[in-house]
Amino acid sequence: MANPQVELHIHKLGVITLELDADKAPKSAANFLDYVNQGHYNNTVFHRVIPGFMVQGGGFEPGMKEKRSGTPITNEANNGLKNQQYTVAMARTNDPHSATAQFFINVGDNGFLNHSAPNPQGWGYAVFGRVVSGTEIVDRIKAVATGRKGFHDDVPVDDVVIEKAVAL
Amino acid sequence: MVSAESARAAQAAPPHPQRLTVPRAWRRVDFISDLHLQPQDRATFLDWSRYMQQTCADAIFILGDLFEVWVGDDAIAPGPLPNEAPQAPFEIAVASVLARTTQRCSVFFMHGNRDFLVGTGFLQRCGVQLLSDPCVLEFGDQRWLLSHGDALCWDDTDYMQFRRMVRSPVWTQQFLAQSLVQRRAIARDLRQRSESRKAAQVQWFDVDSDGARQWLGATRSTVLLHGHTHRPQDHDLGSGLQRIVLSDWDCAASPSRAQVMRLELPRPGQAAVFSRIAPELSAHTGAPK
Repeated sequence: MANPQVELHIHKLGVITLELDADKAPKSAANFLDYVNQGHYNNTVFHRVIPGFMVQGGGFEPGMKEKRSGTPITNEANNGLKNQQYTVAMARTNDPHSATAQFFINVGDNGFLNHSAPNPQGWGYAVFGRVVSGTEIVDRIKAVATGRKGFHDDVPVDDVVIEKAVAL
Repeated sequence: MVSAESARAAQAAPPHPQRLTVPRAWRRVDFISDLHLQPQDRATFLDWSRYMQQTCADAIFILGDLFEVWVGDDAIAPGPLPNEAPQAPFEIAVASVLARTTQRCSVFFMHGNRDFLVGTGFLQRCGVQLLSDPCVLEFGDQRWLLSHGDALCWDDTDYMQFRRMVRSPVWTQQFLAQSLVQRRAIARDLRQRSESRKAAQVQWFDVDSDGARQWLGATRSTVLLHGHTHRPQDHDLGSGLQRIVLSDWDCAASPSRAQVMRLELPRPGQAAVFSRIAPELSAHTGAPK
């Protein structure tokens, strides 16, 4: 069975296509597709951009209005997939199993985010797919000017908007 | 220089406080405040966590100062960090307790003077509903005026001036524009100044009785329920009005302090009965058969 693909249509920049690894990250892939199919990611922004590290989105509408998300999912970072450049992983808080809708695209090889042990320090961040088309758009996103907005740091000054996310 | 009288005039009762009507099925609501949760006080966190898990109340109202300090929701925003610094594990532990509790019953939160920067993002993640200060609760055919209490300490003119400053959008924006490290330092500094000032004071300032009566009159409520002063007591304000003060929590103190104010409807149509109960007894109903 072919791995599911999702298109992120970025306002004024083009389309980033993600291929999800439903084999190695079944829960994360299914969870992500759920949000895609519900339209959760439509009209959301990449709200946290750190060049050389990652670009993060899936949680806020333009104007930094936080979106409600669903039940947290099990962390699948122990699936062997690495946080390499252009892979996509689930964002979470300090609680290893707290990921809901937010995700990030690695823009460097972030080995320190990989799973090393099943404890809070070593759990790591679950990679569940990679960018198969549109890496040049990811490169443009990581280079935008950022600043502080309310409670948040590293927020793009001009909104980088995902107009819609579509499962292919 | 602000005169005491003009300061009082400025405290006129808020014209339209939030009104909260609760589901008719609710029989029992709990009120707590002033827990001042912080990583250094494991005892209070554990006792509070146990209480939140075991209470048989239909709803829990937290009337401010749940946290000792809160400098911004970003302390626990999701996401990997470029370094391996931990993301506020204590605040996340508190968030977990709140999130688990809201799966069983309703939890309402009102800002206190220490945690007025708790944001809607954090509360939403935990399933907690924000209440404005003050707020009128309609329960058991009565109107209860809920407040943290600091806004009514009119005689403490220094504090009232300080409060006006830090609750202004301009000050809040400027504060939040600074890094987390800077904000924590500012908060520590403000805390130290407040402690020094309190140590130098001869008297402490209670909620102003005239203010309480004014707010009760303006909202057509009969009971004002508040925290902040850490002086639990029931006060008769005359004309059938009452001021009920919640206890603070400090489970590391000797003797330990922790108390829940419970409002219970014995039978539909009967007046609500309020009682102060120990958190460990919160799993049991007090209503007479």
